[in-house]
Amino acid sequence: MQAVVNEVLHGLPSEVIFCKKCVISNQRPSTQREFKKQNTQIETVGFGEDGICDTCKWFEYKNSKINWDQREKELMDLCDRFRRKDGRFDVIVPASGGKDSIYVAFMLKHKYNMNPLTVTWAPHMYTEVGWRNLNHMIDSGLDNLKITPNGKVHRMLTRLAFENLVNPFQPFIIGQKNVAPRAALQYDVPLIMYGENQAEAHNRFEENLTPLMDISHFSAKSHNEDLYFGGVHMSELGQYGIQQNELFYYKPLLEDQIRSKKVEVHYFSYYKNWSPQENYYYAKENTGFESNPDGRSEGTYSKFASLDDRIDGQHYYTMFIKFGQGRAMNDANRDIRDGFISREEAVDLVNKYDGEFPKKYFNDVLEYIGISEERYWEVIDKARSPHLWNHSDGSWKLRHPTH
Amino acid sequence: MKRVIARLDIKLNKLIKGIHLEGWRFLGDPTPFFLDYYKQGIDELVYIDAVASLYSRDSLKELVAETTRNVFVPLTVGGGIRTVEDALEMLRSGADKIAVNTGAVKNPALINEIATKFGSQCMVLSVQAKRNRAGGWNVCYDSAREQTERSVIEWVQEGVERGAGEILLTSIDQDGTAKGFDLELAQRVFESVDVPVILSGGFGSPDDFVKASYFADAVAVARQLHFKSVSVQEIKRHAKSSGISVRIDE
Repeated sequence: MQAVVNEVLHGLPSEVIFCKKCVISNQRPSTQREFKKQNTQIETVGFGEDGICDTCKWFEYKNSKINWDQREKELMDLCDRFRRKDGRFDVIVPASGGKDSIYVAFMLKHKYNMNPLTVTWAPHMYTEVGWRNLNHMIDSGLDNLKITPNGKVHRMLTRLAFENLVNPFQPFIIGQKNVAPRAALQYDVPLIMYGENQAEAHNRFEENLTPLMDISHFSAKSHNEDLYFGGVHMSELGQYGIQQNELFYYKPLLEDQIRSKKVEVHYFSYYKNWSPQENYYYAKENTGFESNPDGRSEGTYSKFASLDDRIDGQHYYTMFIKFGQGRAMNDANRDIRDGFISREEAVDLVNKYDGEFPKKYFNDVLEYIGISEERYWEVIDKARSPHLWNHSDGSWKLRHPTH
Repeated sequence: MKRVIARLDIKLNKLIKGIHLEGWRFLGDPTPFFLDYYKQGIDELVYIDAVASLYSRDSLKELVAETTRNVFVPLTVGGGIRTVEDALEMLRSGADKIAVNTGAVKNPALINEIATKFGSQCMVLSVQAKRNRAGGWNVCYDSAREQTERSVIEWVQEGVERGAGEILLTSIDQDGTAKGFDLELAQRVFESVDVPVILSGGFGSPDDFVKASYFADAVAVARQLHFKSVSVQEIKRHAKSSGISVRIDE
């Protein structure tokens, strides 16, 4: 019997429900327009009355209803529509040098005879292996354009995003979504090919039925629209030492420009059955791609995902704090849906690794955003929603461990 | 007599093959694979269950039982052996030898217990070796997810002192690459212990068996057999023509 109703933060559902097929809970956020966020309020993933999440439903559909030969034909038609013979690039591939971007860029270049330009939005702080992997990708025969934002501004926005949104990754995400469309305009390459549709992991079912990314994620009607970075209205960023002309790479593009240049942003996962495991093999076999040299990454059991940025661990850790869902859960959901692990095994893995504190680069992160360890924990602990967390015997525990 | 061993990594009762022990690509039902290798004249089989946590092992036991009903070569089973009881279960299902890695790293006395109870010939110490920057090798476990500071050379010596009768030595750096074994590792281990060593990780072509046979009593082949890039007979014939003693049924 629950005598006390605990307070709920971030707009999360008050009752915690785990999907019957995977181990995601109904506390998981779905993708929203980042440059509109003013606080930690979010919308969550779709969950059916039957206790099964939208993503699992999507996988069931994907594994039974999609004719992948037909989809590949659609991809070939798309490539035919954009392919150039005059030596110019004909497709932009946003790429970190990780296994997924290697797969997309190589397939487009070698199987579908396209001429891709890979575009990288630089991580906050490269890890050694991340830097090597970017170079492995380039050395394996791909052109690359790397955009690195103003370090002073990026650090401050990252700090604001951490303090206001408890998501130090947000400024990175904003820039990452803009960088490919911007390159598309500048290089006059109207086709952009992303890897996985984020809806495959945690959005609404319907979003998977189209190959296209909604342009609202990287564009706005005008530059006078109300925009927020790190949760702060752009007009107020001056007090943090950020000038208006230092926000170039963060500001969304103009919708009219995107439309008049006929820029199309597609997901490769619409056309080809997407599998992180298979992408790992593909990257290993075609480039010098290296998995995590230290074994599994902190907070999870996997070795080959999200390796390039020293702040990655904090991205997942803050999700764990806010939503009770960290990096291991993220990996386990995917592996269940792909049939690699049973739900039983996933529960065990999540309880073993999820929420493990990413200590390896912790000092680098504190130094990067310029806050003390004390302040860090103050922000973290304040973000623990009482309906998810219980403080007893000097430590924080999830009220609803994965089960 | 040098042995050629087929190594089958198993997950959810399907045959998988990783690279650097990472990745869970399913190659299919293991049955046609082990039947084929037996027909080809394989000397032994090794099953490593890549289950990342331990629940019901019934399916693995069934696979072991099915194998020993059809195949009459020694079978080593590893993956998730944490106690003497776990070992006993696999032996009862028909395994001839037990390979232990994680369980031994976490509790080295397990080696003594299994060796005492079932004999050293049954206790295979499985070692996942990863090269370090100092030119040595560190012991890893949990499919190389976890790395330790422990030196491979010291660990195999300790394992043999505790009663391990054989070493299954896997190079994480070479695993799944088909680029050849880590022969330096093989040599160092060969010089450090006086029990048979099975070299695993990196087999690319029959010549790798010839090179390995200087330092190892057996090689474990996975990828190249699973992908049918080579046959057991090709490996053995090449070895024989290079003056290495192997079992060939004419």
